[in-house]
Parts: sequence; structure tokens; C-alpha cells
Amino acid sequence: MDYTMEDTQNSAPDAIEATKLNTSGQRTETQSVTKRLQAELMQLMLSPSPGISAFPDADGNLLSWTATITGPTETPYENLNLKLSFSFPNSYPYSAPTVLFKTPIYHPNVDFSGRICLDILKDKWSAVYNVQTVLLSLQSLLGEPNNASPLNAQAAELWDNNQEEFKRQVLARHRDLDDE
Amino acid sequence: MLSTVPLNTSRRRVFGSVFSPASLEARPPLASSFDYDQAALASFQSTASFATLKDSQTGSLYTAPSQEVSDTSLDRETWDHAWAAATAFLSIPDFGFAPIFEARGTDGSETLKEWNRLTPPSKETADALTYLTAAAHYSDSSRDGTGSRDLFSWYGEEIRRHFLTNLRGGLYEVLHGSEKGGLLRTIVDCLQLAFRIYLAPIRHYLLPLVSASDQGRIFTQLQRGFHTVVSYSLPWLQISPLLAQELAQDALIILGIDTLIEESNEDEDEDQDEMEMDREYSVSYCDWKQANAETRARIMTEHENNEVIMARDRLLAFLNGLQLVGLGGDKAQKVFASVMNIMMTEFIRAAYTGEWETPTSVLPHLRHWVENVFARLAVQVLNIIHTQPSNQPPGTLDVSFADVEKWQEIAVSRLGALRTSELFEVIVEWPASTGAIEDLKHFTTHPSARAYVTQTFITILNQRLLHPGASTVEILQLYISIIRAFHLLDPKGVLLDRIARPIRRYLRDREDTVKVIVSGLLAEPPTGDASGLPSSHDILVELSTELSKAHQLSLQSNTSELDWDDANWMPDPIDAASDYRKSKSADVIDSLISLFDSKETFVKELQTLLAGRLLQKRDNFDQEISVLELLKVRFGDAALQACQVMLRDISDSRRVDHSIRHDQGLSKPPSRPHPKRPTPRPNHPDLHAKILSRFFWPEIQDQEFNVPEEISSLQTRYAEGFESLKQSRKLTWRNGLGQVTVELELGDRSFSDEVTTWQATIIHAFNSGSAESEEPVSKSVSDLSSELQMTSVLVRSACLFWVSKRILIETTRDTFRVLEYLPTDEEVAEDPTNTVGDGGMAGDAGDAAAAAEAAAAAAAKETAEAAAMEKMNLYWQFILGMLTNQGAMNLQKIVMMLKIVVPGGFPFSNEELREFLAGMVTKGKLEIISGGSYKLVH
Repeated sequence: MDYTMEDTQNSAPDAIEATKLNTSGQRTETQSVTKRLQAELMQLMLSPSPGISAFPDADGNLLSWTATITGPTETPYENLNLKLSFSFPNSYPYSAPTVLFKTPIYHPNVDFSGRICLDILKDKWSAVYNVQTVLLSLQSLLGEPNNASPLNAQAAELWDNNQEEFKRQVLARHRDLDDE
Repeated sequence: MLSTVPLNTSRRRVFGSVFSPASLEARPPLASSFDYDQAALASFQSTASFATLKDSQTGSLYTAPSQEVSDTSLDRETWDHAWAAATAFLSIPDFGFAPIFEARGTDGSETLKEWNRLTPPSKETADALTYLTAAAHYSDSSRDGTGSRDLFSWYGEEIRRHFLTNLRGGLYEVLHGSEKGGLLRTIVDCLQLAFRIYLAPIRHYLLPLVSASDQGRIFTQLQRGFHTVVSYSLPWLQISPLLAQELAQDALIILGIDTLIEESNEDEDEDQDEMEMDREYSVSYCDWKQANAETRARIMTEHENNEVIMARDRLLAFLNGLQLVGLGGDKAQKVFASVMNIMMTEFIRAAYTGEWETPTSVLPHLRHWVENVFARLAVQVLNIIHTQPSNQPPGTLDVSFADVEKWQEIAVSRLGALRTSELFEVIVEWPASTGAIEDLKHFTTHPSARAYVTQTFITILNQRLLHPGASTVEILQLYISIIRAFHLLDPKGVLLDRIARPIRRYLRDREDTVKVIVSGLLAEPPTGDASGLPSSHDILVELSTELSKAHQLSLQSNTSELDWDDANWMPDPIDAASDYRKSKSADVIDSLISLFDSKETFVKELQTLLAGRLLQKRDNFDQEISVLELLKVRFGDAALQACQVMLRDISDSRRVDHSIRHDQGLSKPPSRPHPKRPTPRPNHPDLHAKILSRFFWPEIQDQEFNVPEEISSLQTRYAEGFESLKQSRKLTWRNGLGQVTVELELGDRSFSDEVTTWQATIIHAFNSGSAESEEPVSKSVSDLSSELQMTSVLVRSACLFWVSKRILIETTRDTFRVLEYLPTDEEVAEDPTNTVGDGGMAGDAGDAAAAAEAAAAAAAKETAEAAAMEKMNLYWQFILGMLTNQGAMNLQKIVMMLKIVVPGGFPFSNEELREFLAGMVTKGKLEIISGGSYKLVH
């Protein structure tokens, strides 16, 4: 009992020291992430791509963004506004951001809680990707789902067999978030 | 009831044993010199009145003898007679206040006579007095001495009675009279006289009769009685301000403060005689400082001038009187203390305000003054208005040396307070005011004093400096002075650290801070010629000198903290925070540069300024190179890489320019080293170029237009040369930048000057009509604008420039004509066409110059506005992204987000943004929904 007490006492300064080091390390890391994200935002603003848009959340935290994809023409998602959330880890861009669909979407590679199955967001992530490329990939994913590894098997099946029904399902599931 | 026979006989026996029987036995039992009945009556009355006046006393008077019936044999009657005679003699006539008031100025002997105070007592009275005192003495020896005290206490009562009936009303009137000056003196004089009147008979005739030991006691008793009645009649609340006034009046003179004040006023009216007179004795700091050490020691102790001696005598005499009549003592000491307190502050203010020279000797002077002038007066005064005269053996001073030292310390802190209040002016005058800081140094030895200095100064700064009325240059200038001054005051920099915080915070908010600092750094040192630069008034030239100086310093003292042999080492001040580390706070440049969180802002500004300067046509850029080298020491090479490249571009261009011109056969010796643009020798313009690596240069606002054909052909050849020299690189011409040396041949004169490229292009356009034709070329702004692809604002600006040079004139609005021959003055007056257009500006070169400037400014403004608009478009993208993704937002939130996400901050105000958004609403891109939020229209 006593020994353990002593132990914690002895170790306490070290622990503090360690956290100190960590926080300072973290801070510089956060700064570099912030810088990178700021640059990405600037690039998005300077050369906007049609149909996609993204912006940091209103809480002033650059590590979480909201993005909007307008459904590409000649797909079941035509003219639908789809919202996504981006959450960047401190190790960004060396690890992938967490991307979720906020708008309910009916899609073979997206499950009902908005999780996306896309290789570049998982094991194929690389530091050269950025918000814009991710959004462009997702935009194209809307028109060309990867039915080989579906999260939503029913959707994959409908996509292959019954486009009409698929479109109906998409519209039934879609709900605009803008009005909230 | 009044008399019993056995008592009387026994008394008479004692009486007879003391006085010679002949004197008393020879006359009737009651006083024979006057009528018996009358005397008896008088005696009865006086005793009766006495009895009613004071019951306890009468009680003792009559009961005491009755108790000693057995062992005393005094004759009661004799005693009564003696009592009657004595009281009749001693009683004070009720003349009222007026006589005393009238006689207050005299020595009082007249009044004493008038008041029958000096008449020696008649034989009988004297005998009666002797009898009474002796009786007192006898009973004193036997028992308690009630008898004698009876007579004296009766007299005490008499004084009181007289005072209250006669004097009190008068004094009250005087006190509340309109005349205030010297009021207390009048009162004291009156009281003094009254006191003498009261006590004269006692002193002369009564006291000699009692033993020496009793004399003092009785006198003190009477005096105390008098004092009591005086303080009862004159409320201290009313006396103390009067006393303070009297004391202050004389203390001002004695302490030499009045001469100081006069001296400072004398600057205007140069009263030489008085100056000479005062020279002998002066407490003035200036005089003292000029004197040598020996004189210094004596200057204040000796050679008092008459005025001071008079004032001193007057004051001491007055205080003597005050003490005598009972208004001195403890209370007067308090008043005196408060007066002296004010005097000290007053003296310090009068003597040292604005005395900031270095080396300072204010402090020794002040200590000297306290010791020799201030303490001296205090000793003298306190000797008079002491509280208990008998307590101390004579010769003991009420003031100890410890007290004097304490006063000196107080004086030093007062001086500190003065200097603190002056600190802002001191800093403004820096470095001429070093002495003041040295004085302050003696004050800031205590943490609370240090806190006082910093707090006061910060308050002053907020009031006087950190507001929009002060220009950034001024603030920076003062900040530099503050850094230097506080470095002297507190080498450890703790105080500076505290002072600097609000200044730095404020400077960070100023937009032009960086600009001012950078332009100051790049400024020519004061010795160099300042041609072509703005006057040093709005540039901190100091910074460039400081830059080179600080560099040398930093080489010298880099190892300060770990220098074990440093004999001047001092511990950190007590109020330093535990994590306080001494910064190189004396280093002005460092303090200024560290104002900004990152070096980037600074470097960016440096780049912009450097770009502007490097593009000027100059032979060398040694100044810029050296500044850059010095800055590299601070920032490191990496941060200044872009600047480095810019400099190298310029030096490389010189070589490249030379070789290209050589290769392309463009060079014609003797050509000048490298003006970018042609020198228009007839048909042979000369082209030099500076080749900039675009990536490293800041964005340069440029005006696009077509250059004259001669130039553009040269440009093509030049570009070919460059491309052959440097493969895979291309030249893009920035026509808006550069200088042109223009030589113009006009009908009656020639003109040569360096102008900008667009100005040269315009005048070249007027040239195209060829010099031979008689009719001067005339062109309109719109023609020129379309011909040269130049914005009309710029065209107009250039035309007006030439108008100001009297090369062109504006014939009608926006139409200009070459002025081949200068009109004579009469022609100008006669020819109204000259003054068409902008209200006569064509006729007057001065006005024209102003107009040209205005037009140039307008052109510049247009460019800036275009840039701003472009920026606004960028912000529109941000707003668009924001509203798309985050939904509707109100103005505050939009501004807040823009401030967060836009790199470099959002430069527009809420109002400007509101206007912009309103424009977007009108365009149908936005809509305002409930709550004032903006929403995108889909």
C-alpha cells in the first residue's frame, strides 16, 4: 500500500513532464495540420470545382469540416444536396480524415449510418490526397458504385438489376438537411 | 453661624505669631483704612458671591477650619478681612474685550497700568496677601494647604469668570470676522496680553510670598486653568486651519520654496537684482549643482538672507505666543506635521520638476535640504510647541537623527512620485532626460514602489499614447525610448516587461506597424543623402542605425547568464516572476520584431518594401544588402530566402543584361549601367531590363498597356537574347514598372527627366505626329486610352503629370495638346482657352502639379480598388462555401468565420461586408431569412 503510494508520488513528476512534452509536441502538430487545412481551404476557394464544396465548421475548429456534394447529372442522385462531415486527425495528412454522409443516402457503398466504403479513405490513403480529391472521388462514386464490396447489399443488387426501383429508394431515403 | 468666638481667638494667636503684633493690633479688628461697614459689606459680598460660585470650594473653606477647631487658633475675622482685601486687590476689572483688542500690538505695559495690574498693593493689602499665603503655608505644613490654594484657585476662578464674560464674545467675533489674514496672530496677541494681565499681580506680588517649590506648581496651575478656558472658548476645529495657514506662510519662506517658485516665474521678467540678492542663500537645485562640494555643504546652513531670518523670527515668536496661551502642544504639533508634509511635497515639486540633466545630484541635494533646512525648522518649532516641558531635561531635541533619516526617505519617495508623474515627458525627452531616470532608480527599490511606477505609467500611456491620435511612428519612437529608459532603470527588464505589454498589445492591433518598422530598418542612415525618400519625419531612421549597432552589441555580450566572473552580476529583482527570463530587452530591434507572432508577417512586409526599392534605378543596393545580412543574423537564412533571391535577381540581372545586350548588339557605349527603360536618343531608345524570378517576388500591382513600337521591338529582341542565354525560361514584360529617362525637344526648350513608363508612353504618343508639322499634336483621353490599351484614369493622370511639367495643356476637358512654345504671362492672362477644363489649372504649374498628383493618386486608388474587389471575390467564395455547408448564418458569424479561416485575416469592417452582402442580395444570390441570417438562393 505504502509502496504504491510512494511509487505514484515518485512517478508523478515524470508523468507531468511527459504530458508537457506531449502537449507541446501536439501543439506543433496541430499547428501544422491547421496550416495544411488552411492551405487546402484557400485552394478550394481559389479554384472551386462544380458540384462540390467544403468549409470548416462554425465552431472555429479547423479540424472538422462540412462538405456538400451536389448529385451528378444522369445519376439517381441528380440535383440532390448531400452533406458530409470531415473530421481530421492530428496526424493529417499522414492519416485519412474520417468522412461520413450526414444526409441519409441510399448507396451500395454507404451504410445507413453514413459510413463510406472507399479505398482511399481506408488503406489506400496517401498524403497527396486532400479534401478536394476526396470529394471528387465521392462524387464519382455516386455515379459508379463499387458493387464488388457493398456495405448495402440490397442497394448493390437493385443498382445492378432495377435502376428504377433504385432511384425510387434513393429519393425515398433522401432528406434535405438544409432546412434544419 | 459665621463666627464662633473660640475659633477666632485661637486664630488670632497664630496670626499674631506670624505678623508683628504692632501692625495688626494697632488697628481695629477690621481693616481700618476704609470704612468698616463698607469693608464688611464688601467682604461679605465677595465671600458670598464666592460661595455661590463654587460650592465645593466654599465647603472646604468653611468646613476645614471647623474641623481643626481644637488645634488652630486663627482669628476668623482677621482672615476674613485679609481675604476681602486680597480679593479686592486681585479682582480683574470688567473692561470688556475692546481695550485688549486695541492694545494687542503694544508691549502691554500701558494696558497693565490701565487695568491696575502693576500698582503695588497697599500696605494692608500686602499684609493681607502675606497673611493669606502664610496661613496657607502654615496649614500646608500642618495639613494640606487648603488655605493658600484657596486664594489661588479663587484667582483661577476669577480669571475664568473674567475671560468668559469679557473676552470670549470678542474673540468669537474676531474669529468669525471677515478679515482672515493674520487672524490667528491677532487672536494670539490678544490672548497673550490677557494672559499677562491676569498673571501680572500674581507674578509680582503673590508668588514671592510662597516657597520656591510652590511657585512653579501654582503658576502651572493658573496657566493650565487659563489654557483650559482658552481652548474651551476657541474651538480647535476653527483654529487649526488658521494655524496651518500661518505655518505654511512662513514655512514657505524659511524652506526656500517661495524663491523657487519665483525663480521659475522669473524666466519671463528677468529680475536681475533680486537674483543677485538671492544668490547668497538659496535652496535652488541649479545653484547648488553649480557650486563645488565645499560650498555645497555650507550653502544651506549659512548665508540665510534677511527675509528668511525675519520669517523665522516671526514664526518662532508667534509660536512662542501660541504655546504661551495654550494653543500649542500636541494639537499644534499635528498641524505643524501636516504643514511640513505639504511643504516637503511642495518643495520637491518646485525644486526638481523638469530637472532631468545627467549626471544628477538631485538626491544628495534633497537629502542635504532635508537635513539642514527642513529638519532645522522642525527642531526649532518642536522645541517651542512641546507637549511636556518638564518631562525632558533641557537641551534634549525632540527630533532624533533617526527621524531625520526617516524624513529623508520620505523625501526620496516623494521625489519618486514626482518623477513617476513626469515619466511620460521624461521618456519623450529621452535621452536628454537621463537624470530623471537615475533619480527614479533610487525610488524603485521596493516592490510596491515598482508596482506604483508601472501602474502609474501604464495609466499615463493609455491616456496619452495608445489612442488613435498618435501615429504609429510616434508610438514606436516612444516605445524605443521606453525600452532604453527602462533598461537604465531596471537592467533586469522586469519593469520593462510589464510596461511593454500594453504597448505591444496595442501595436499589434495597428495595421501599419510592420510597415513602419520595416521601412525604418531599410531607411538610409541619417548621414546618407535622403533624396527620393520620404522625409525622416515619418520614418524611424533610428532603426537602421540601431540595427547595425545592436548587432555589434550582441556579439559582445552573448554569454551574460553563465558568466561566473561577472562582477556586476545582480540577482533577479524580487518581483520577477519565477519563470522570468531576462530577454535581451535592451535590444530594440528584437523587441519590435518579436511584436508579431510569426516572422512571416514581417518578412512579407520586408519583401514588399524591398521589391519597391530594388526596382528603383540605382547604381548599387549596398544598404539593402547590409540590412538583409544583419536581419539574416536574427531570422536565419531560411526565413529570408525570398529576399535573398530578390537581391540576387537584381545583381544577376546586371550581368545578364550586359551579356544579352552584347549578344544582341543592343549596347552602345557609353551607355549608363542599367536603367530598365530606353533613353530616347533620337530613334535609338536604349533598353535595360531587370529579370525577376516571379516566384520569389511579392505580387506587384501592375498596369497593363501597350508600349511604343520601338520599345516592344527592342523587348522582343531582348527576350530572344534571354531565351538563348537561359534555355527553357521566358521573359514576361511588366510594362507598368520601371523608369524612363525622357528627353523632349520642344519648339522653344528641351526637357529631360526620369518618369514612369506609362508617363513616358503617353508623351511618346504625342510625339508620333512627328516634330516637323507645325500644328502641335492634340489628343483626347479616350483616343489615347484605346490606342495604348491603358485605363483612362491612368491616361488622364499621365497627361496631367505632363501638364504640370508644362509640356501639355488641356485645351478642353480630356483633350490635351503639346505646348511647343511657352506662353508669356500676358498671353496666359489674355487667352481664356488656356484655362478651360479644370478651372485654370493649365495656366498654373503649381495647381497642375497638385492636380497631377491627385490624378496619380486616383489611378493608384483605382488599382487598389480593383485589387480589393478581386479580394472581395475571393471572400465571396469563402462566404459561398460557408453558407453552402453550414447553412444560413448572420453577419456576426460570417465575419467571425472569415476572421478565422482567411489567411492573414479579414480586412473589411462589418459595415463593408454588410454592404457587400446587401449587393449580393440585390443580385439575387442571397436572401435574408428570419433573424437577419443570410441564406443562399438555390
